Amino acid sequence: MADLIVHILVPIAIFTFIAAFTLFAVYAERKIAGFVQDRLGPMETGKFGLVQTIADILKLLQKEFITPSAADKILFSIAPVVIFGAVFVGFSVIPWAADFIPANTHTGLFFIMAVVSIDAIGILMAGWGSNNKYALLGAVRAIAQMVSYEIPVGLSLIAVVMITQTLNLNDIAYLQGIHAPESIYFMGFWDVTQIGGIFAWHIFQAPHLLVVYVIFFIASLAECNRAPFDIPEAESELIGGFHTEYGGIKFAFLFLAEYAMMFLVAILGVVLFLGAWNTPLPNIGSLRLADWTTGMGWGIAWTVIKSFTIVGIQMWIRWTLPRFRADQLMTLCWKVLIPLAFLCLAISGLWRIMVML
Amino acid sequence: MTIDVLLFYAFATMAIGSALLLVSIRNTARALFLLFIVLFAMAGLYLFALADFIAITQILVYVGGVLILLIFAFMLSNKELLHDLQRVSHRFIMIPRWQALLLSAAFLSIMLYSFLSWSKSMPEWIETAQMNGTVISPADNNIQALGFRFMTQYVLPFEIISIFLMMALIGAAHISRKEQNA
Repeated sequence: MADLIVHILVPIAIFTFIAAFTLFAVYAERKIAGFVQDRLGPMETGKFGLVQTIADILKLLQKEFITPSAADKILFSIAPVVIFGAVFVGFSVIPWAADFIPANTHTGLFFIMAVVSIDAIGILMAGWGSNNKYALLGAVRAIAQMVSYEIPVGLSLIAVVMITQTLNLNDIAYLQGIHAPESIYFMGFWDVTQIGGIFAWHIFQAPHLLVVYVIFFIASLAECNRAPFDIPEAESELIGGFHTEYGGIKFAFLFLAEYAMMFLVAILGVVLFLGAWNTPLPNIGSLRLADWTTGMGWGIAWTVIKSFTIVGIQMWIRWTLPRFRADQLMTLCWKVLIPLAFLCLAISGLWRIMVML
Repeated sequence: MTIDVLLFYAFATMAIGSALLLVSIRNTARALFLLFIVLFAMAGLYLFALADFIAITQILVYVGGVLILLIFAFMLSNKELLHDLQRVSHRFIMIPRWQALLLSAAFLSIMLYSFLSWSKSMPEWIETAQMNGTVISPADNNIQALGFRFMTQYVLPFEIISIFLMMALIGAAHISRKEQNA
């Protein structure tokens, strides 16, 4: 029975975190947008506009349920649940600190890849169910983009899995710090098992993984339909894309799913490449910085700090770069990212055989 | 009744119920989304057989790939053509459907036969496996075992399938290419 209560409490905790994160992230996004565009952003509601997003969500929650009369009512109302559910389930295998993980499975990474692809079905459901040309066009664009960019994401994940030899995200996190079960090397020559810190992260364990991380980051931006890859919801052409017809709490769920997806890809990148819950501070002689800053509380703090930094970079990119054209988007994916990811995959194999053994 | 038995029956009901609804529904778009529920529930049932890799692959390949392809094909197909397909007789048993009747009768008789000849006990090979301890537990690392098998015992079938998929990919690219001098 205690097990069952834990199984109910953990999803509630994660949901609360995602909801709080979304409120915070929307505010941060507006402030960053304001900073980039040389204006102030929200200032009226609360001190520095701090309660602006809370006011927004209260407004959304009170709104009437509006379903277009020509819409497919069942699909229209299920779609937000499917989209949010797909992203939410992905959080079940993410490690927050050492052995602090909702589900410690051997198939963690593979599981995330699978559930994120359900997201595409939800978007198609929303686009088709709305019975609106703009919504359908937005959904079709979103699917074309997500299906294409799943390939570089998958290839970059395989490149790092070839180095780690496991799909278990908890084990992958262990391999990047002072608690690593086997000896780890900085760039393949300097034993950093006792030193840890930033040198033990995957991107520094093998030099090509830095390139792989960049590929993963770009492709994951496209996976969550963020600018500069936001042609599925290009306001100037498509009004709002697949969520044109949505309002009230259904729209709130779609919004929550979008920000949850941003955080999911950010934390996934952190776990795979940027040392997960391991500290960036190395042991220097008798200055045991890595030993001092490793532990449960520190682990959660490092994971969250690193992920928030990545989310911040995603926002910075969104407000800095203009939107890609559809053909440029496909050219980047098929002619640049995929060949590069294949090359890194081959290097990963050689690295594992030649350098790590 | 434990919670996993309850979950098993929930998944089984979901799979069978949506499959029945899927073949009887008129609305093709909804039928495709029902297929998603069927595939998802089937993945859940695979988990009960401790085949977590198969379950996730099912979702990744069928839901993330094949189903999206099906929906796209449905959206791009001619509306009149779909209308013709939907305009069929409502009678349940009729002469043009004799193949379906034959097939379902054959399957029913096979299932009845196997049910009647079942001795209500565990098969012998399962009992010997349990005695020898050659069973897998939910906490085992199945992926590693699968990987070793693929690269040693089953390397030839694995590579043949890879080449076959490669051929299909190249063939698709060739067919879809615009002819330069046609």
